[in-house]
Amino acid sequence: MRLSALFRRLPRRWPAVLTAAALPLLTGALWQLDGPQSTFGAENSPLGPVAQRQLTLFYYTLVVTTVLFVLVGAVLAYATIKFKARNADDEHAEPPEQGHGNPFVELGLTIGSIICLVIIAVPTLSAIWYTYDVPGADTPAKLEEMVKAGKAYEITATGYQWWFKFQYPSERAFATATADARTGKRPEAEFVTANELVIPVGKPVHINLRTDDVIHSFWVPKLAGKVDMIPNRANHLWLQADVPGYYYGQCAEYCGDSHSVMKFRVIALEQKDFDTWLAKQKEPARAAAPIAPANTAPRAAAPLALRNPDDGKKSVPLAGTGDPVVEFKKWQDRQAPAAEDAAKLALISAGRRLFNDNKCSACHTVRGQEGVGVTAPDLTHIGSRSTIAAGLLENDEAHLHDWLADPDHWKPANKMFHGIGRTGKISMPGYIKPDDNGDPMMKDGQPVRNISLSDADVAALTAYLQSLK
Amino acid sequence: MAEALAKSDLLTKEQHAPAKAGLIFPRPTAKTGLVSWLTTVDHKRIGVLYATFAIFFFLVGGVEALLIRTQLLVPNNHFLGAHTYGEMFTMHGTTMIFLAVMPLNAAFFNLLVPLQIGARDVAFPRLNAFSLWVFAAGAIILNIGWLLPSGAPAAGWFGYAPLTSKLFTPDMSADLWTLGLQVLGVSSIAASLNFIVTIINMRAPGLTMMRLPVFTWMALFTSFLLVLAMPAIAIALVEVMFDRHFGTHFFEVSGGGQPILWQHLFWVFGHPEVYILILPPMGYISEILPTFSRKPLFGYPIVVFSGATIGFIGFGVWSHHMFTTGLGAVATAAFSLATMAIAVPTGVKIFNWIGTLWGGHLQMRTPMLFSLGFIWMFMLGGFSGIMHSAAPADAQQQDTYFIIAHFHYVLIGGATFALLAAIHFWFPKFFGRLVDETWGKISFWIIFAGFNGTFFPMHFLGLNGMPRRTWTYDAGMGWDGLNKFCTISAYVLGLGICIYFGTIIWSYFKGKKVGNDPWDGRTLEWSIPSPPPEYNFAAIPKVHARDAWWYEKHHQEEIRKEKAEAIAAESAHGGIHMPDASWFPLVAGVGMLVGGLGFAADHMPVAIGGLIVTFLGIYLWSLEGPGGYHIHLDKDGNATEDHSH
Repeated sequence: MRLSALFRRLPRRWPAVLTAAALPLLTGALWQLDGPQSTFGAENSPLGPVAQRQLTLFYYTLVVTTVLFVLVGAVLAYATIKFKARNADDEHAEPPEQGHGNPFVELGLTIGSIICLVIIAVPTLSAIWYTYDVPGADTPAKLEEMVKAGKAYEITATGYQWWFKFQYPSERAFATATADARTGKRPEAEFVTANELVIPVGKPVHINLRTDDVIHSFWVPKLAGKVDMIPNRANHLWLQADVPGYYYGQCAEYCGDSHSVMKFRVIALEQKDFDTWLAKQKEPARAAAPIAPANTAPRAAAPLALRNPDDGKKSVPLAGTGDPVVEFKKWQDRQAPAAEDAAKLALISAGRRLFNDNKCSACHTVRGQEGVGVTAPDLTHIGSRSTIAAGLLENDEAHLHDWLADPDHWKPANKMFHGIGRTGKISMPGYIKPDDNGDPMMKDGQPVRNISLSDADVAALTAYLQSLK
Repeated sequence: MAEALAKSDLLTKEQHAPAKAGLIFPRPTAKTGLVSWLTTVDHKRIGVLYATFAIFFFLVGGVEALLIRTQLLVPNNHFLGAHTYGEMFTMHGTTMIFLAVMPLNAAFFNLLVPLQIGARDVAFPRLNAFSLWVFAAGAIILNIGWLLPSGAPAAGWFGYAPLTSKLFTPDMSADLWTLGLQVLGVSSIAASLNFIVTIINMRAPGLTMMRLPVFTWMALFTSFLLVLAMPAIAIALVEVMFDRHFGTHFFEVSGGGQPILWQHLFWVFGHPEVYILILPPMGYISEILPTFSRKPLFGYPIVVFSGATIGFIGFGVWSHHMFTTGLGAVATAAFSLATMAIAVPTGVKIFNWIGTLWGGHLQMRTPMLFSLGFIWMFMLGGFSGIMHSAAPADAQQQDTYFIIAHFHYVLIGGATFALLAAIHFWFPKFFGRLVDETWGKISFWIIFAGFNGTFFPMHFLGLNGMPRRTWTYDAGMGWDGLNKFCTISAYVLGLGICIYFGTIIWSYFKGKKVGNDPWDGRTLEWSIPSPPPEYNFAAIPKVHARDAWWYEKHHQEEIRKEKAEAIAAESAHGGIHMPDASWFPLVAGVGMLVGGLGFAADHMPVAIGGLIVTFLGIYLWSLEGPGGYHIHLDKDGNATEDHSH
């Protein structure tokens, strides 16, 4: 019963108890809020003006509520300690005066709380209007004017299960590398990228938010709070980056199995660098090597060597270091094509053929080459991106290999593996064959494969995709 | 009083309709055994059954939470698959809200409301049993997916369209979710109507509305909230069901449906639902604090009025769950201000609880510790709630772990702490034994530490950019350390909960036996024996003041005379009238279960068959007549039953 004696004493030790209650508060101080998606600014990735305004408001509310908490908490703690029965006599003493309250105290406290709320309400209202749309662009016409005058930039972001498409309405891309013989002009195409949004710095960017399927939410914590992408609803937000850099973003509304791995990046460039980037991206895909002739020899059926992510490598980041400065540097380095020797060129060529043979092009576009699909990320310049699989994996050979070999492991239920369309008939099968219900067709406990890739195939595809810079 | 009794038709023998012959199930008379529990109409037994089911599901939801935390222990974890994880957080939320906290509150409505208002039962005892069995049916429909190939519902407890559509959830898990909630809604509405009528009509003489115990007030507000909020989600669920089964286009995007409509309907229900969960706990606290402070609640009218205000404004703040859906600046501003406004009556309650402590003689029993814990934790949850009312700041916090921290402070630190206080506090009333104080206090401190360790760091995870409903996270995001800390603390919290309920079970068998009033209580339930007899009050009390039992204890002579008169008057008019048990609430509930499962499985014969059983049950129930029997008490309080009509 020594334990019970201890616990009888415990309530008398309020200072110790309060310290215990404060411990969790301290846990916050032990970890710095400097992650790549922190809503606080950091030296290596400062906030954009929208996020800054939101953070300022957050501090307002934090200060007011903390002051209130300390005041009310102090009174509560005082009352608890002061009026506690200290011994058996106290407990059996005559009950205290049976008072029912004091209207003036009530009124005073009510008015006091209303005043505190007004302190929060005023900056809240001003921030609501500030963060709603690009300052000065109250109407669509005014926004259009600003975009034309180069005072603002416009992007359309569309959410898909589970990746982001980015369209640049004011830009046009080239569909081919050469001019049309008849018109003497190069045919144009829509300018589309995926999963990495590149914007110019110092300019407000108005982003139209759309979705192709379910509700998603567009969130780049360092640049702006989130706004949802809702079907049949034309939402938008605005953000601005004041310094060049690499910003992390993520879908913030539950959108199905792979919601947590639906990420993206925003890369902000100086206007000059942005123009260079645009010019390069508008070009069709880089053809490092022509498509290889059909190889009639039986393909090597080497088993797929998949790196097991659960195998002692749990703490290894999948998508880079998480340090915006390092990642920005790596992104810049990726923009130039790597040197390719003859063996590599042969591999790229074989990969390009596999890309066609396996009908990857039905869903993916490689502008200027084979692809025409619009239901999956545009791969025209996939090699120049820093991540694959919607910001999930670093875009290097090892990760691309893992991703192509077993996409369902990384992004459960993804359409590349399971196909598109789930009820009735699958309109576009993926890696596996669907049955009549749209569920995977099973044989001996394993799904029946529609696309079978050997280790060598994956290596060739990897080389091809990496060459598309 | 005697005159009023003489005039009452209900108490005269001649008025009883004789039980109809030829019904499938005659009225059962068993007082013990399984049949007596299945057919009971006694509010106390129904309350105990509600509590048993609720605690079972509370533990199930807790296990789901621990699995979620285990998955998040380390980055890039594959302990649970992505889909299983979706099932876990969907069912954790749905279970804790609809199958744990709501029915536990319903259990206390059943156990306490008739006792606090000096009544012998609720207004409609069989409807009360019906609510219980329909609740059980809904709980089974929601959970049965775990055993079926479709799996459990996995679209989130909020079930946002169009994720619940046939296109994105082709299997029947979404149907189990819609039908399960729909059936639970029937139970809630039936129970709420019952309690509204009970509280308004069945108060003892002298118990004016402004003398009602605060818990009963909160039960009344909660019942009104349920009756007004449930139809919104009922409509929304019907629309989802129609979209899924009959090709309508309420939310079906390709047909021009509006998924945003679901969010409005859901949160018009969902926000009052938050107050449905928290108002009864505010009631427990408002009973427990005065008892252990040995003085009345500070500012009773203000506490009651702020409860009503919260209920009222609670219907005007739903869109603060939707600040990121592009409401437009004006609507966002309006809902921001309304949300700030609702903080005022909530804050007023906290001031009044502190006022109650002020000048009292505080006795630090386990329920008091949980109640003080409630005030502290609810304050933290309330203040982070005020922070969210600033919509632009909320645009960063929405759907992050900051929100998870916030609402767990309200729903665990708030609602659950209060419920644990209430279980400990009222346990001796219904089982005649005290819960062990030492182990109660030990469990409190472990729960308190585990809870804060689990949820306080989540504020920082959210500010560091970790979104909700995250199956796994990458190692480079800076979230590893805190997640590990949260998970380990969650195990501590789980340990505390196990100790708490272990103590309750031990006390059921071995706890110290006590009399009617172990805490020196203030309200009428403490005036009758523990456990209470089935007729509750030998004499219907006459109420002279707020805190009626406190008054009785201090005016014993006057009360003794009154009671003797009341007993004499009642026995002159046939004795204590008691309702008969009945099979039909259970039959109707089983019909709901079969029908619900039939609809979910798209099997129309079974669905229609289930509906027929429900309607047949209700029809026969109305045929069997009110029934009832009389209890006569002799001078020593021994009861004899009289089943003659």
